[in-house]
Amino acid sequence: MEAGTLTRPHVAPGAHAEPKPRSAILDWLLTTDHKKIGVMYIWLSFAFFTIGGVFALLMRTQLAGPGLHVLRPDIYNQLMSLHGTFMIFFWTIPVMAGIANYVVPIQIGARDMAFPRVNAFSFWLLIPAGLLMLSGLWLQGGAAAAGWTSYPPLTDRQFSPGPGVDLWILGLHLAGMASILGAINFVVTILNLRAPGMSMMKMPMMSWNVLITQSIILVATPVLAGALTMLLTDRMFGTGFFHPSAGGDPVLWQHLFWFYSHPAVYIMVLPGMGFVSQILPAFSSKKLFGYKGMVLATAGIGFIGFLVWGHHMFATGMDPTLRRFFSFASMVIAVPTGIKIWSWLATVWGGSIRFRTPMLYGLGFIALFTIGGITGVWLALVPFDVQVHDTYFVVAHLHYVLFGGSLMSIFAGIYYWFPKMSGRLYNEFWGKVQFWLVFIGMNLTFMPMHMAGMLGMPRRIYTYQPQFTIWNQIASVGAGILGLAMLIFMINMLYSLARGKRASADPWDHDEFNKTLEWTVTSPPPAENFHTLPVIR
Amino acid sequence: MTRFRRTHAIALALALLALLGGVGTAWAWLVNPVTPVAHEVRELFYKAVAVTMFFFVLAEGILLVAVLRFRAKPGVPPATFHENVRLELVWTAIPALAMVVLAGPAFSTLKYLETVPKSDLTIEIVGHQWFWEYRYPGQGIVFANEPLVIPANKIVAADVTSIDVVHSWFLPEFGVKMDANPGRVNHTWFQVERPGTYRGQCAELCGVLHGDMLITVQVVTPEEFARWVEQKKKGA
Repeated sequence: MEAGTLTRPHVAPGAHAEPKPRSAILDWLLTTDHKKIGVMYIWLSFAFFTIGGVFALLMRTQLAGPGLHVLRPDIYNQLMSLHGTFMIFFWTIPVMAGIANYVVPIQIGARDMAFPRVNAFSFWLLIPAGLLMLSGLWLQGGAAAAGWTSYPPLTDRQFSPGPGVDLWILGLHLAGMASILGAINFVVTILNLRAPGMSMMKMPMMSWNVLITQSIILVATPVLAGALTMLLTDRMFGTGFFHPSAGGDPVLWQHLFWFYSHPAVYIMVLPGMGFVSQILPAFSSKKLFGYKGMVLATAGIGFIGFLVWGHHMFATGMDPTLRRFFSFASMVIAVPTGIKIWSWLATVWGGSIRFRTPMLYGLGFIALFTIGGITGVWLALVPFDVQVHDTYFVVAHLHYVLFGGSLMSIFAGIYYWFPKMSGRLYNEFWGKVQFWLVFIGMNLTFMPMHMAGMLGMPRRIYTYQPQFTIWNQIASVGAGILGLAMLIFMINMLYSLARGKRASADPWDHDEFNKTLEWTVTSPPPAENFHTLPVIR
Repeated sequence: MTRFRRTHAIALALALLALLGGVGTAWAWLVNPVTPVAHEVRELFYKAVAVTMFFFVLAEGILLVAVLRFRAKPGVPPATFHENVRLELVWTAIPALAMVVLAGPAFSTLKYLETVPKSDLTIEIVGHQWFWEYRYPGQGIVFANEPLVIPANKIVAADVTSIDVVHSWFLPEFGVKMDANPGRVNHTWFQVERPGTYRGQCAELCGVLHGDMLITVQVVTPEEFARWVEQKKKGA
């Protein structure tokens, strides 16, 4: 309503005049509004999440017993590869970008992102990117089947002759481009478009986390793009970057890939840590503990994150000195991560905790991410890492980080900002039920994978030896519970979107000191967010 | 009543989680190590668990207590503290110190496993899609798709490589996992304490039948090994 009466005292940078109203569909297709783009990111990511989730459930069905024939081995490898790729590049990264796209400009008191058209372009790149990858499933030779890591020579033309790997490379190139453009946009926005008086050290913690995350993307993602191009020319034009017979080295790919992909873990975790850093104080009625320390720790993680990629390669026969360096750097990164965990605990300690769904997810995040952090320290120890490297132990570890960490924080964020974005309240009872199903299902699925891995079950196998049966059966039951939980989530959110109670500007009744700017405007906020730009004192 | 139930549900869930993790971890790790390296790795693992469990229990414990104690109640205002530089320095320094402490045994175990001692027998392991080829250059024996045969208590040095894609030779009870990279040769070693049949499998995704690329090692007495070598030579 208010959008219609908005007068335009200051024209925001990049904003443009809208002469006459467009049809609703055209409005979404042509929009450069950060809020609409943010919402579209979230919808699209959930669509890809559903695809990646169905693939996971199919894999868990195949692995429900040893020697089953639910999926052919080649199909299993394709689904496994696409599951990883989709969950990382088309769910975790874009859904976090979507939430940040929606919230950060409002939170820092801006009318939009610095480059609204670039913002729209980034989003629209993701659709062809995802479809390109997926399309391999319907083509002769199938989709890419070499894992999300796509190590050559397995991904060379000789061993993967079909178009799957090419489609994977091109899709990832587009997604990477979207990421890089988005990163430039976020960094410029946060550095330049803060409201008058909002100095860097007055920024909400989440905006800090997004700024650091996007800076990591800016440094790391172009390296992935370069490596992908090398792989593509090896396949298409007969270069030999990764061919031993042409003087190349497959291990070079691993270095380049992990130079991007380890920082990518922080790209997938830091924004979520930002969400949680807003949510825990809000529902504890306390200020975030140790704001400065948190900022420093986040920056520290961002920096050290670039020095640890070699810990993915301890079994490659790496130089002994390098192994020690990467090992110690990987242990060191536990320190800033620890600072964050202690600070969240100190935030909650002594508070008046309201157990609403976002808070449950925030607390669940701490409980589970800590487990991933601990197993991460073990994995930094080379001899132990070599023992469990490429086994289900690593699958368990990475899911405690990316499911227990990233996904829990994403759901915390979605529940927290849903009323703001939709203007409606979700059903709290079903929200809590869904949380408990996720929490229990998650542990049932991934905890037993530690055991299977320590017993020696390698990852990425389409069937397994009988001694691993019990752990896999528990995991498959857990996966079923997770599937049910996600179904409940979707029904709750879709129903609430249509029928939920109307949300006020601040449905969570924030204390004054926790009330970031998005809670001072209506739900959903008006076009361009603020009638007059707020001034922060 | 609801409060009682809810808090206990949380407590129960977390306790169950810890129990499952603790019991499972201890049990699962009882893959009997049969080489000096595997014993060392298990010792290191126990040390890592000991050091990190302190922080794990502390963090999850604080979380659990906070959840149980600090539910919002009417008339009880929340605390207002939000920084304490001394406390922050402590929780930076202590974990950092723990990491340094842990690095000691980690690096000495690493040194031990990566120094290949003077060997009694040298073998070559070559990965293929999807089987293993074994060569005994000293004995002039080459075969594929059959169990590897080695003598017990002898130091076996292995050179690992691949003919096509990256594979990884993984035998859990030996504490050995070595990538087989085309164009490179990696070195590892093992000294198996007891005769027996040991199983592992390829640990690096190597294509469609990666899951079927199994490894069997038959460890026999030195006398049996000598006899086996003679037979193999005659048969070839």
